[in-house]
Amino acid sequence: MNSADFLAMLPHLVLGVAIVLLMLVIAFIRNHALTATLTALSMLASLLAIGPSLEALPRQVTPLYIFDAFGAYFTGLILIAGICTVVFSYRYLQGRRGDPDEYYLLLAIATFGAITMVETTHFAAFLLGLEILSISLYVLIAYPEEGHVPLEAGVKYLVLSGVASTTILFGLALLYNATGSMAFQAAERALTDQPNYEVYVVAGNMLVFGGLAFKLSLVPFHMWTPDVYQGAPAPISGFIATVSKGAVVALVYRYLIGGDGLDNDALVTALSAIAIASMVIGNLLALMQRDFKRILAYSSIAHLGYLMIALLAINALATLDFAVEAGLIYLAAYFAMTLAAFGIVTLLSSSEQDAGDLEYYEGLFWRQPWVAGVLTITLLSLAGIPMTVGFIAKFYLFGAGIEGSMYTLLWALIVGSAIGIFYYLRVIFIMTHRPESTLRNERPVARGAFAVICLLGLTVLAFGVYPTPLIVLVGMAISGMGG
Amino acid sequence: MEVTLFYIAAAVALATTALVITRTNAAHALIYLIVSLLSIAVIFYLLGAPFAAALEVVIYAGAIMVLFLFVVMMLNLGRGSVEQERGWLHPRMWIGPGLLTLVLFLEMVFMIAGNPLATSGVPVTPKIVGQTLFGPYLLAVELASMLLLAALIGSFHLGRRYMHARREMTE
Repeated sequence: MNSADFLAMLPHLVLGVAIVLLMLVIAFIRNHALTATLTALSMLASLLAIGPSLEALPRQVTPLYIFDAFGAYFTGLILIAGICTVVFSYRYLQGRRGDPDEYYLLLAIATFGAITMVETTHFAAFLLGLEILSISLYVLIAYPEEGHVPLEAGVKYLVLSGVASTTILFGLALLYNATGSMAFQAAERALTDQPNYEVYVVAGNMLVFGGLAFKLSLVPFHMWTPDVYQGAPAPISGFIATVSKGAVVALVYRYLIGGDGLDNDALVTALSAIAIASMVIGNLLALMQRDFKRILAYSSIAHLGYLMIALLAINALATLDFAVEAGLIYLAAYFAMTLAAFGIVTLLSSSEQDAGDLEYYEGLFWRQPWVAGVLTITLLSLAGIPMTVGFIAKFYLFGAGIEGSMYTLLWALIVGSAIGIFYYLRVIFIMTHRPESTLRNERPVARGAFAVICLLGLTVLAFGVYPTPLIVLVGMAISGMGG
Repeated sequence: MEVTLFYIAAAVALATTALVITRTNAAHALIYLIVSLLSIAVIFYLLGAPFAAALEVVIYAGAIMVLFLFVVMMLNLGRGSVEQERGWLHPRMWIGPGLLTLVLFLEMVFMIAGNPLATSGVPVTPKIVGQTLFGPYLLAVELASMLLLAALIGSFHLGRRYMHARREMTE
């Protein structure tokens, strides 16, 4: 490896070194504020390191990594989400039992796993990144020492995620068996001359996509989502919803563009069915929930279903760039909306209990008008109301769907969004109720977390009114895509 | 020739794995799991990867499984555990795993003594493994270290929580 290689992987190196340093600091000094600040700063340093690294892009470093503008875009998104999660977590863990320090270390390692996944076109690095992310998440979900709910959620995620990883691994083995290469690129994977290789490729792809659909919590692999989101600490629910899913989406893009994933009609049909089921069932089940974290879980299932439209649009080759653009814009919007929503859940949580039940939100406009205002913007954006980034993102999906003439999927999008508006507005309606009882004894609003939530709310509004900077950024990411 | 050997080893692997998940006694299940891993090692050898086969035996069937067995046995401390262990070590218990291991052993003897070239493909020597691992896949080794770090910190945290809970219960 030469200096240009090191420059290209600068964000990874910075975060990797920071993790080791953080571990050493924790070994000597256990201080919540110090650990949280150092974690946020190391992620920020890694984020800033993307700037100088852009010079060396695109660049293939060993067979494992491909560094390009597309990966840098996702790395940036993931690191920003990581920093937001750190700020929320500081608020969340304050006043709780047990040491909070390992939490931040695991969060940094999980982020490292996620940024590995977005810059690889190789099965080995993909699986290692996925496992680094998953293993950190098992513990982060079960981190709080009070009660059995987080532990139960952690074990559920451990078992189901383990099965999904095994499925992916088995699928990769079949693909390797058929082609003899672990690279995503179809060109490098010369199919062997056996007459029945097609079976291996189809079966392998099905298994890989089944496992990935679990990680993306698409119907019918969604069963774990509401339970885990409800049981996990609120910042970690937000982290799973954004970082872990965003990293998988980046990977699916690379796999579909580089590989020959969607050449097969059976696979396209299966993925379309999964997308439609996610959009409709995710939204329908959200209607019946009384817990805000569960509503957000089902809403994330539905949103990933919407996003599948952009992934499937790659199939129509004429719209390749546009399909990727729609997906990237949708993902950025989804990151901002979801992080803001889970940040507000964190802000309203007491040190004993998460603000899950909808009664926590009753009369929020009277008690904390600013927080309620940001939550309203977020929910409207999730519903896809104009003037918010959620609308722009859905508009792009629609455009991609129409260019690819995927009308069945678009109908599911319309029906899903219509159902969605109902339960998002219901939460807003509950917030306007004037509270009958006396005020709950609430913790004072944490300034750091509040500032981050306001920034996210502003982002949702700003890109909703003036999306040009986001579109330009995404355009740069796509034109600089290598491999 | 090697195809027949492969099918025998694969049949042993399938049978033992099925037995692992149907045993109601954890210690018995683990013993079958060891046999299952041994049969995978034989398959590795047949595929021309003697180094991977050796690692499979040393690390999985050896170190990790014995560790598992110790933990399972240790968790059952208390009254009646002596009776229980006697039940585990009942001679009848050893017949199944013993016979299956014997099949694998005979296969190995046949491969090494009778026909040393009864493997398919190019043999992968430890040198080739090392060159690949620390050449193109160097960064994968680094990633694996990060994976182990996450697992280490995680088990440390969860284990400490368990110790806290136990201490509170005894106090």
